[in-house]
Amino acid sequence: MRNGTTLLLLAAMALAGAACLTAWGAGPVVAASLEPTDSGAPSAMVIFPVGEKPNPKGVGMKPVVFNHLIHEKKIEDCVTCHHTGDPVSCTTCHTVEGKAEGNFVTLERAMHATDIARRDKGNTPQSCVSCHEQQLRQRQCAGCHALVKPARNAAWCAVCHTGAPSMSSQQMQQGMAGKLPQAQNEALAAEVALAKKPVEYLTGLQAPYKVVIDALAEQYEPSVFTHRRHVSSLMERISDDKLAQAFHTRPETLCSTCHHNSPLSATPPKCGNCHTTNIDPKNPTRPTLKAAYHLQCMGCHKAMKVGRPLNTDCTTCHKQRAPQRAD
Amino acid sequence: MNRRKFLTILGSAGVVSALGTAKVAEAGMHTFPYYADSYGVLHDTTRCIGCRRCEEACNKVNNLPKPEKPFTDLSVTATRRRTTAYEWTVVNKYEMNGKPVFRKLQCFHCNDPACASACFAKCFQKQPDGSVTYDGSQCVGCRYCMVACPFYVPGFQYDEAFDPLVQKCTFCEPRLKEGKLPGCVEACPVDALTFGRRSDLIKVARARIADNPGKYVNYVYGEFDAGGTAWMVLAPAAEGAPVPADSPAQAAPDLKQLGLNTHLGNRPMGELTYGALGAVPMIVAFWPVLFGGAYAMTKRREAISKLEQEKVLKEAREDVAAAVDAAVRKIEETEGEGAAERARRAMTEALKAREAEAACSKHGEDK
Amino acid sequence: MENHGIVIPTRDKLFNLDPLLRRTPGNILTWIILSVGLIITIIRFTQGIGSVTNLDDNQPWGLWIGFDLLCGVCLAAGGYFTTVACYVMGMKHFHSAVRPAVTTAFLGYGFVVVALLYDLGHPLRLPYMFFFPGTTSVLFEVGLCVATYVTVLFIEFSVAPMEWLAQKFPWLLKWRKLVIRCTILLTIFGVTLSTLHQSSLGSLYLIAPEKLHPLWYSPFMPMFFFVSSMAAGASMVIFEGMFAHKGVHEYMDATHLREADGVVLSFARAASFILFAYFMLKLIDMLVQANIPYLFTGYGAWWLVEMLFFVLMPALLYAKGARDGNVSLCRFASANTVLGIVLNRFNVSMIAFNYNLPSAERYFPSIWEICISMFVVTMIVTVYRFIVYHMPVLYEHPDFKDEAH
Repeated sequence: MRNGTTLLLLAAMALAGAACLTAWGAGPVVAASLEPTDSGAPSAMVIFPVGEKPNPKGVGMKPVVFNHLIHEKKIEDCVTCHHTGDPVSCTTCHTVEGKAEGNFVTLERAMHATDIARRDKGNTPQSCVSCHEQQLRQRQCAGCHALVKPARNAAWCAVCHTGAPSMSSQQMQQGMAGKLPQAQNEALAAEVALAKKPVEYLTGLQAPYKVVIDALAEQYEPSVFTHRRHVSSLMERISDDKLAQAFHTRPETLCSTCHHNSPLSATPPKCGNCHTTNIDPKNPTRPTLKAAYHLQCMGCHKAMKVGRPLNTDCTTCHKQRAPQRAD
Repeated sequence: MNRRKFLTILGSAGVVSALGTAKVAEAGMHTFPYYADSYGVLHDTTRCIGCRRCEEACNKVNNLPKPEKPFTDLSVTATRRRTTAYEWTVVNKYEMNGKPVFRKLQCFHCNDPACASACFAKCFQKQPDGSVTYDGSQCVGCRYCMVACPFYVPGFQYDEAFDPLVQKCTFCEPRLKEGKLPGCVEACPVDALTFGRRSDLIKVARARIADNPGKYVNYVYGEFDAGGTAWMVLAPAAEGAPVPADSPAQAAPDLKQLGLNTHLGNRPMGELTYGALGAVPMIVAFWPVLFGGAYAMTKRREAISKLEQEKVLKEAREDVAAAVDAAVRKIEETEGEGAAERARRAMTEALKAREAEAACSKHGEDK
Repeated sequence: MENHGIVIPTRDKLFNLDPLLRRTPGNILTWIILSVGLIITIIRFTQGIGSVTNLDDNQPWGLWIGFDLLCGVCLAAGGYFTTVACYVMGMKHFHSAVRPAVTTAFLGYGFVVVALLYDLGHPLRLPYMFFFPGTTSVLFEVGLCVATYVTVLFIEFSVAPMEWLAQKFPWLLKWRKLVIRCTILLTIFGVTLSTLHQSSLGSLYLIAPEKLHPLWYSPFMPMFFFVSSMAAGASMVIFEGMFAHKGVHEYMDATHLREADGVVLSFARAASFILFAYFMLKLIDMLVQANIPYLFTGYGAWWLVEMLFFVLMPALLYAKGARDGNVSLCRFASANTVLGIVLNRFNVSMIAFNYNLPSAERYFPSIWEICISMFVVTMIVTVYRFIVYHMPVLYEHPDFKDEAH
């Protein structure tokens, strides 16, 4: 931002924003501040694990706050999710136990299934997870996600299953019985959706500029890896991606593609700490250091369809070392 | 005297057939893995980049002759090559669902190798470490091993005049003994070749398939093919293909594009001949009885017909003698004794002449 | 008995090489082939197998195995077929056919071994199979049986040279007497060994189901090879007889000539039955293996050609010839059968083998391989002529005429 005009403009906008907040921001209805959707559907809603069995204690999975607005903007056609063509809520047909209207497909499967058989005619339904997995094949995601499969752990579940902090247990019970009034539902959802803040990621500027990989230099000169350029380029591509923002929940998430398997940290351990130069008898299937480098670099380049360098064009990355004398 | 030596001696004595099949029957009951702790290599073709480093390393560690084109010339992978006596491993490029995939070819080191089963001079041996080794010092050069190998692996030194041998990948057995990795495995820059115990590698392969849905064809080539092999192959699935089911039939077309034949069955190739070999002792036992019996029957039939013939002849002769007697008596009554004596002599002579003639012609027929 | 001028070697003139050295077109051709063969032999054994053959790693067995070994062994089946018919089945009127059949069988097997030496990388190590017996190998069984059977045939055949040489070395007569006493033992031993290795030649290919075309590959290949070898044996007796009558007619005695037609007709009848049986076996096997779809491919057409024109047709011709007493038709059928057997062995070993390889990687024998095969056949013919000119094969030696066998 070396342009002074832009800076001035920004300052003006910030002032205007502050003015707005002080004037109307303290209003009683918080939900109203979510942008309305084009289709007229609620902008956000809580999806409860609706079941038909009596559940007096109200035990169930944390409900999901679904931001209908963001998803609607991303998707061309309502039938992608509302696969029957009828825009009713998912839990109408898919309940925890499954029921006849939903072909006995349980809510769990309807939301998470990845092995959905292709329908010969008509619309093949998608689950949340299957659609998100599809998004990972986009070029800007594929590089990392060809190498890294997000662990299906509690943190992963918690991205969606947030629940709502202000929800009472009575509301939860009502929700699970499918009897929570629409307005209350939307209010709870809007509260959560508005509270969501994007994570501050580590940026390329905080990372080393260049890394010289010389641990293995033998036949070739050490490879000079433009670390900052790679990180910045990756971050730039996904800077506007809401899906990435939602699931990249930690400042170091992006680093963990290459610096994998170690606790997230701004100063991860060296590759050679785990990947030994020669095969490790205790972990014979762990790639050796050379293979680890090659698999990471080539895997990402291939998945992101980076044309250059060719896999077999060794000297693009490391120059041929001049023949050395034995001593 | 141990069992092998015993068999060897019997074999050279030519009484081998029965015991040979006894051994075969035992071989038929092998359960897999053949050697529980044997080593193997998992070749992940999704990783292979076709750099030919493995070929170069193989050439170097085995002191093979330098090829015409240098190993840096990667264009040769586009042609369909096979292993030869001087190239124990080659990397070929295959078009698989429209995408290039590289696969390294070398001896698969079968659990129960067809070559070893086919060799009639016991040159091939499956070692406990998993390698199938070849001892050229007793090779006769018949090349039946090459006919038998379902993977078209062994090569023969056709250009060698005095000591032509069959050559194939050794799994770098000498290096394994020194505790080193096979040359190709060590040289692979992307670990497309994973060395380990065969039993572990199968788990690794299954884990890779499970952890990367849609990435691999759901088939570990070599786990069971041809009775199981020490070297196994993972193949990439077609992009966007549905999550593969467990049916090998579905994997077959994909693997075929990679030059892998899934129709070898899951029993060792050698077992196909065991039925025929098992029939040997039966033939040895029954044929002499059968033909000896036929011979005895023929002999008996001849003897009986001879006896009957003689009986008939005797009766005829007696008939004739009686007739002659009657005639002579009649002549004696009517013509007197002198005439009778003459008639008897004439008749006897005529009979003798006839008999002689008959005997002569019969003798001729016998020849 | 009239011998119409058979030259019987005597004590003073043991050799009768004249007819071999005479300057006739046949002899000249023989010399040419033999000398070319000799040159190729020298090249083969000094420059390696690759210098004279088109063999490669995909097709390690070519013409020398497909023709010299498979066809050679099969076509020498006349030996066991005739001896069994004569001695075991007691068909004494085949007696004059036994010795020529045994002679050709012995020569056939002998030269199979010779031809094998060309094909082996280490011919001198052939006996290694007895020192390091690979008992799981079909080839081991073949080797063992062929080695034993060659010995048996040698003993059976040795009667003829004994009778020839007995005039100079009378002590040979003892050996001859022993052999004749063992005739039936040798015959039964011979037929057992023949059954084993004739069928085992088919078993050789059992181990390569993915290489041999399904129309030819069958778990019953050993049986097919054995049954067809019987037909080949009968046909070869007729076929060889045809040439013997042309070439060495003057060495046949009256008995041989008188019995020749009877032998042809009886063998034709037998061959007809065997060929029919063989045809039905192949047909049923094709149906059982559900190979009908393959019939509509190029290989299927080729299979039908083999089955119809080289199995069914000679069977019918034989049947007609035997019924009408038409000797020349039987002879034609025998040539047809022999060709059919050769075709079948070529199909199994070369034409339908490696059928799924691209045509550029397929095998076609080099001219030198063909020359060596011709060389081997010429050697057989020459040695056969030598034997016929010297030994009582087509006639009975006057000294041993009256002995009953």
